[in-house]
Amino acid sequence: METNPTSLPMKILVFLLFLFLLAPVILVVPISFSGEQILSFPPQSWSLRWYTALAGNSAIISAFWTSLLLGAIVTVLSLAAAIPAAYVIVRMRTMGSGFLYNLFTAPLLLPTIVLGLAILIVFASAGFLGSFWGLVIGHLVITLPYALRVLATTLGNLPLACEEAASTLGGRPLTVFRRVTLPMMAPGIVAATALCFLVSFDEVVITLFLTGPRLTTLPVELFHHVESRADPLVASVSVLLILLTLAVVMVVDRTVGLSKTFVK
Amino acid sequence: MSVAVSEPIAAIPRPALGRLGAATLLLLPIALVNVVGFILPVLNLLRMSFNEALSGGGIRETFTLANWFGLAGDAFYLELIINSVVVSLTITVLTLILSYPIALYLHRSSGRWRTFLTVLVISPLLTSAVVRTYGWIALLADQGPIVQAITSFGFAPPRLMFNTTGVVIGLVEILMPYMILSLLAGFGRLDPRVEEAAMTLGARPVRVFWRVVLPLTLPGIALGCLLCFVLAVSSFITPKLLGGGRVFLLATEIYDQAIVTLNWPLSATLSILVLVIFGAALAVYARILRAID
Amino acid sequence: MMHQTILSGTPTALTSRDAHLRLDGLTKRYGDTEAVAALNLDVPKGELVALLGPSGCGKTTTLRMIAGLITPSGGRIVVGRSDITQMPVYRRDMGLVFQSYALFPHMTVARNVAFGLEMRGVSKPEIEQRVREALAMVRLEPLAERRPRELSGGQQQRVALARALVIRPSILLLDEPLSNLDAKLRDEMRNEIRDIQQNLGITAVFVTHDQVEALSMCDKVVVMKGGKLEQVGTPVDVYEHPATPFVASFVGRTNRLEAMGKGDGTAIAGGAVLRIPSRAQGPVEIMMRPHRVRLTDSDGASASGGEGTNRLDGRLSRVTFVGDLLQYHVDVSGTELVVEAASDHGRVFRAVGAPVSLMWRVEDTMVFGRTA
Repeated sequence: METNPTSLPMKILVFLLFLFLLAPVILVVPISFSGEQILSFPPQSWSLRWYTALAGNSAIISAFWTSLLLGAIVTVLSLAAAIPAAYVIVRMRTMGSGFLYNLFTAPLLLPTIVLGLAILIVFASAGFLGSFWGLVIGHLVITLPYALRVLATTLGNLPLACEEAASTLGGRPLTVFRRVTLPMMAPGIVAATALCFLVSFDEVVITLFLTGPRLTTLPVELFHHVESRADPLVASVSVLLILLTLAVVMVVDRTVGLSKTFVK
Repeated sequence: MSVAVSEPIAAIPRPALGRLGAATLLLLPIALVNVVGFILPVLNLLRMSFNEALSGGGIRETFTLANWFGLAGDAFYLELIINSVVVSLTITVLTLILSYPIALYLHRSSGRWRTFLTVLVISPLLTSAVVRTYGWIALLADQGPIVQAITSFGFAPPRLMFNTTGVVIGLVEILMPYMILSLLAGFGRLDPRVEEAAMTLGARPVRVFWRVVLPLTLPGIALGCLLCFVLAVSSFITPKLLGGGRVFLLATEIYDQAIVTLNWPLSATLSILVLVIFGAALAVYARILRAID
Repeated sequence: MMHQTILSGTPTALTSRDAHLRLDGLTKRYGDTEAVAALNLDVPKGELVALLGPSGCGKTTTLRMIAGLITPSGGRIVVGRSDITQMPVYRRDMGLVFQSYALFPHMTVARNVAFGLEMRGVSKPEIEQRVREALAMVRLEPLAERRPRELSGGQQQRVALARALVIRPSILLLDEPLSNLDAKLRDEMRNEIRDIQQNLGITAVFVTHDQVEALSMCDKVVVMKGGKLEQVGTPVDVYEHPATPFVASFVGRTNRLEAMGKGDGTAIAGGAVLRIPSRAQGPVEIMMRPHRVRLTDSDGASASGGEGTNRLDGRLSRVTFVGDLLQYHVDVSGTELVVEAASDHGRVFRAVGAPVSLMWRVEDTMVFGRTA
């Protein structure tokens, strides 16, 4: 083990900064076990009452199912659209692949507040507001660029020779894609799946513009809850959300390695 | 390994319906989403900023610069814009100061420890901004632990929430992972041997930092600052919740004009303004980058 | 013979019986540059032909056009009696061994080898049988269930070979197959590939930039430069009678001398009259192989060469010991010539600075017109 060139004061400083960075996330765990009526820290008493309250809150539960379904559909559609797009852009590089790649990832450059407003105005006149499929399209606008970016990078790093070998061995283009290209892209596909799902599941701003009174997602429901009331209910939801995220991350880590996926 | 680098990459064998046809077909879904959910809305937004807003949410299709002149002539909006930029710059500087030590420490660590710390840095990114802001509401509340700690030392209880201070604290924390990752990306140029070389040449650690480490990490700093400024200017969730409706920034105003007042032309104009500020930030970034090299 | 079983039974395609490859004015243009310029080449059935040249000479482009991975800009590729120029790669029935091996990382060795058979709709039991035979041929049967990344470079190379051969290709194409192996393994694989090719009697094209590989393995060597053929011939031909100065210097080591031909079978170089096997007149380039030149004392009796011998006088400027050889660098009126002699315990013929003579036979003198 190499000696670390870091002095003790530096270590203490870094520890405190990490504490600052992680404080709000760590904090919701004790708060969720609060026995108090209102949001306070540290709580004077402990209980599971907010988890019970959560189980009885039909608005949040139905928002959760909406988010889950939305996330699943958006993820599947993102992969279905981004895999062929990545293939065309990376492998069939003909007319302006670079331009197409920039165009299709451009939505990531716009702030979601602007994108949300822009979509709101167009969807309002099309009667798409408050509709599930309107939300799907709204989420696809930002999940597709992420998926394309991850998949195009993965595909670009794969040796072309394997696909060529498969075709000299008699594989037709579609067979080569199915039997060689796709399996070799697996790590990228897992990463893109996790990323798309988490982005969709966490999306608030665009969704705020597109949801209606009868249709809402979990983050939007939580946003409205925090906006109007200060009670520990959101903490109990947050703990469950953090656990869900942890599960997704662990699945990704087991299959492809976390650092490879998120640190580019 | 690179004997045949000069040999060009082969064409993929042509599909039955022709290369161009196949490519078009495969790009159709993503292009459709791009056009319907991105290009058309953004063009429409630009157009909307030249329409006239009627009272009660009505819109008259026209071509007027009234919204733009309205912004320039209204003291409230001028202050809002300046305030947004100043607050965002403050947030950027604070984020940089708090992130730099973490990034430097991460860069110098190795192995599993480094992986673990990297996961810690990334994990807030995977947590909803609503959840993290909620955590800050608990921390910064009037009866919260921070205010209590300060009063226990005999100071007057400060207000840390529902004002600009709260928004700045919350956003700095929210943006730190972005800054740390940008800095790390830029630290690639920072070879520990360069520092060692400087030390063997007789430089004291503080001098090594100012003369060697900092200059080498400037590109990463510039990138991180650009990213944080841009995200701060356009952030909405944290200012809305931690500002408690009392902090007026561009993003919250866009939302209020669009949803509450239903003045779409004005909110479109403010959106375009945010994009203009983005462009300006990018131009400054490009200049700084050129100056560094 | 184990090797023969691979080609036993009914040939899958007509072409495997009639595998005579012909390139007819084959051309590939990228913009204004011609990577391959109007190449004509005949590869008779059962021969192993090397495409030899420096990188960028068009040899790999040619191979990839034969395989169908690159569409030619002009010309024809004919196998047997069928023109396959427009045939898509997956119908060509060629076995290509890649420089990087290009094994499928997500499949076992056995699945890798089986891939081409599955594409051809061969029945399951037959696939199993033929995969086993192919792996036996390259002595890899015990590793059938391993993944490619668990194998050494040489083993991966043999899997790639088995995968290309198991489909009983009409033609075997090898793209620098040995360049990623270390020196010792390279010698081994050279012989192994040659043996397998001869046992199967398969037509093969071998791309390499290494003259030793080309000379030692192949029936015929095609030297290429700048997308064009420089010379086609047997290894001995190309080495002993190079058609151009480029071939002479690319294939084997050479000494180079500028001379003036007199048109009567002699030329003047370094102040001496040399006999040359040519009636060239005007400026010529004279070349000879370092190991065909003898070093003698410039004053001794042995210095007088006979009728069939050329002689040049110079001064010994440097001696390099390279193990099995000693290289004597001799300065002949400003031109440095090299003489190679078998090393005898590193004993040096003369001290540096001594006057020496170079002698070689007239028939070992290569003469080329100087155009540039």
